[in-house]
Amino acid sequence: MSLLDIADLTLSFKGLSGLTEVLHGISLSIAPGEKVALVGESGSGKSVTARIVLGLLQEQKTARIGGTVRFAGQDLAALSPRDREGLRGTEISMIFQDPTSYLNPVFTIGRQFAEVLRRRDPGLARAACEARAIEMLAETAIPDPARVLGSYPFQLSGGMNQRVMIAMALANHPRLLIADEPGTALDVTVQAQTLKLMRQLVDLHETAVLFISHNLGVVREFADRVYVIYRGRIVEDGPTAAVFGDPRHAYTQALMAAVPRITGDGLPDVPEVSEAFLAPKVHHRLRSGRAT
Amino acid sequence: MKRAIRILSRNPLSALGLGLVVLIVLAALLAPWIAPYPDHNGAVVDFLNNNKPPSARNWMGTDLVGRDIFSRILYAYQTSLVLAVVVLAIATPIGTVVGLIAGYLGGWTETILMRVVDVFLSIPPLVLALAMMGVLKPTLTNAMLAVTAMWWPWYARLVYSIARSEREEGYVLAAEVIGAGTTHIAFREILPNCLPAIITKMTLDMGFVIIIASSLSFLGLGVQPPTPDLGSMVAEGANYLPDSWWLTVFPGLAILIAVFGFNLLGDGLRDVLGVDR
Amino acid sequence: MSLLSLDHLSKTFRTAGGPVHAVRDVSLEVKSGECLAIVGESGSGKTTLANMILGILAPSAGEIRFDGQALPARRTATERRRIQFVQQNPLSALNPKRSVGASIRLGLDTYRIGGRAERWPAVEAALEAVGLPGEMRHRAPAALSGGQRQRVGIARALAVEPQLIVLDEPTSALDVLVQARVLRLLDRLRRERGLTYVFITHDLAVVRNIADRIAVFRAGRLIELGETAALFNDPKTDYTRSLIGAVPVVDESELELRTRLAEGP
Repeated sequence: MSLLDIADLTLSFKGLSGLTEVLHGISLSIAPGEKVALVGESGSGKSVTARIVLGLLQEQKTARIGGTVRFAGQDLAALSPRDREGLRGTEISMIFQDPTSYLNPVFTIGRQFAEVLRRRDPGLARAACEARAIEMLAETAIPDPARVLGSYPFQLSGGMNQRVMIAMALANHPRLLIADEPGTALDVTVQAQTLKLMRQLVDLHETAVLFISHNLGVVREFADRVYVIYRGRIVEDGPTAAVFGDPRHAYTQALMAAVPRITGDGLPDVPEVSEAFLAPKVHHRLRSGRAT
Repeated sequence: MKRAIRILSRNPLSALGLGLVVLIVLAALLAPWIAPYPDHNGAVVDFLNNNKPPSARNWMGTDLVGRDIFSRILYAYQTSLVLAVVVLAIATPIGTVVGLIAGYLGGWTETILMRVVDVFLSIPPLVLALAMMGVLKPTLTNAMLAVTAMWWPWYARLVYSIARSEREEGYVLAAEVIGAGTTHIAFREILPNCLPAIITKMTLDMGFVIIIASSLSFLGLGVQPPTPDLGSMVAEGANYLPDSWWLTVFPGLAILIAVFGFNLLGDGLRDVLGVDR
Repeated sequence: MSLLSLDHLSKTFRTAGGPVHAVRDVSLEVKSGECLAIVGESGSGKTTLANMILGILAPSAGEIRFDGQALPARRTATERRRIQFVQQNPLSALNPKRSVGASIRLGLDTYRIGGRAERWPAVEAALEAVGLPGEMRHRAPAALSGGQRQRVGIARALAVEPQLIVLDEPTSALDVLVQARVLRLLDRLRRERGLTYVFITHDLAVVRNIADRIAVFRAGRLIELGETAALFNDPKTDYTRSLIGAVPVVDESELELRTRLAEGP
């Protein structure tokens, strides 16, 4: 059974000029412990999908949501706003693009960490919080975790803050982690380390991941399965190796071709838009013997 | 413009503000035609009808010398609006230029100009105006002068803070690299980006200038009799409260409506023009 | 023949926490007509270097020579005109309150290029040269897509007919399909017009395909300089090796190159 099951999800926003449809029926599923990427360009609808899973758009007055989102068998729409909020930070957690702006600059890491831990366990004592936080930070290979707990976010480097955020996101043993363009704001070398670390940790804790990204290279290195999204529609999905090895949808092909290669194959000549990008979805079957 | 009116009218409070402002401006413009007693804006005396409560003949009652209060309020709006418009028409450009130069040039220019502004801002506005009026003769022109003197620094500070942040924007850098002159960058590139905030502040300030001018008149330092003025009317009537309540309540309400209207409209404009402050 | 030469260039900023050496003793030649990439991570000094080349910042020590002539700290209009730039963030680069055309025309007015009547047609020609319709000059920047805005930024730089263009991460804010088009445009314009580029970026995959030579910066110092292909096939420093090793790749052949480099010499 899948942990997250999105079926025929639609989303429109009510604006001055009527309804604008942003998602035109998205279906996506994630099995427990599976790392799934949703890859697309800006405005493709990948980030709003993540926000719906987090239950953040349901409360917005201008948003109209259709279809179903099931998390661990429960229909999110059937839950009360309070119960949906209760899932966040406990069962479902999130890692953002820019760690420094996500962490509050006026509180120490230790205090923010305790707040995260108390979401799951409100009565947790200070010493227990600290012990747990140190344990989690140590897992992310942060040297001297006790010192980091006493620091403010601005005293730490971007890479360090990103590790802190990963530790916080995994502290309550969520079943699903949503990573929205993690590390994009960081230097490439730091980004590479962060992704490697994140991959190790989610494998260790068997956390399922919905990985939102525009960067094909990053997705290829991280995900088990990939969904390619274009203008609010999934155009291709399948195991990472299959989609990258044999992209069949015109849009996926263009996206792949457009990425400059370090082998120096020249500047690719791909169209920015094309009728072919709107072709029906391509689905890659899981090959037998390679079940996930 | 059409879009602006559509957005304004969507928000009921902004629509109310717009409505009140239109009403006040029309009342002031049309005073000579709609006032039941147009000649009561001057030194008219009618002792047979003095200090009368509101009636069908005088909707808001009459004052101590028998003039129709409703008629005088309509004319008082004329005075208030002219005063507010003149004050803002002088204070805004001065403050804008000072703020723009200080904010864009930076360095010594910024330090000197903004210290001057700070000195002005550190004196309570009414005290500054009182001091000026103490030296000058209490006439309408001098009242405007005094209010203007205490008003421009606010615009200097507003424009300064915007110009300072705009200075860091890429388009300013682009203009500098292209080699455009200082005047061009300050007035053609940065100023247009300050205008929404300036216009919003002007609308909000119309109400405040009316209050300050009324306060001066209330203290006997502003508009002089027999010219009708909302502040002086409240002041005159204050001695006869609570018996002759209509002497103060109606002019007071008139001030309230004007300030309220301009403030609601200013808030609405802030949304329309996308000013975040 | 070198068009731009940096001679023992340094920049030190005084801050509350003591002096920060953003650029340390950098000497570099940019040849006429080449695309030289300046690659580095945050804090490498690449942006400070670009700002000194553009004349936005004055060097603390050293000299910048352009076409054989030393450039003073305060440049004249003619000196400015020859070096233009394209910024990273196409949204902030255009004045939101002015039309696209007015932003491009600014340079034409400043240098009195052509008669007054010829300037609007020249603006339209500049837009067409970057693949945008001429009538787009009437539009506000907010009505354009990210890629279109970046093209306008390029048109603005080209309009004053510079010899050298400093490109500061020109495609890093763009989507990958848009980036591909803009990179091709930049490459074509350089060849057609004999322009010289200083291409500042953190993205090695991009420079691999557009630069003739690459200069790698770290903590304000130039640590490696070489022809693009040579630098990728045989990096001389571990730092360059680690930079290439961190690039997320999509192809098997890329992975092979990366693995080979990771193993070291």
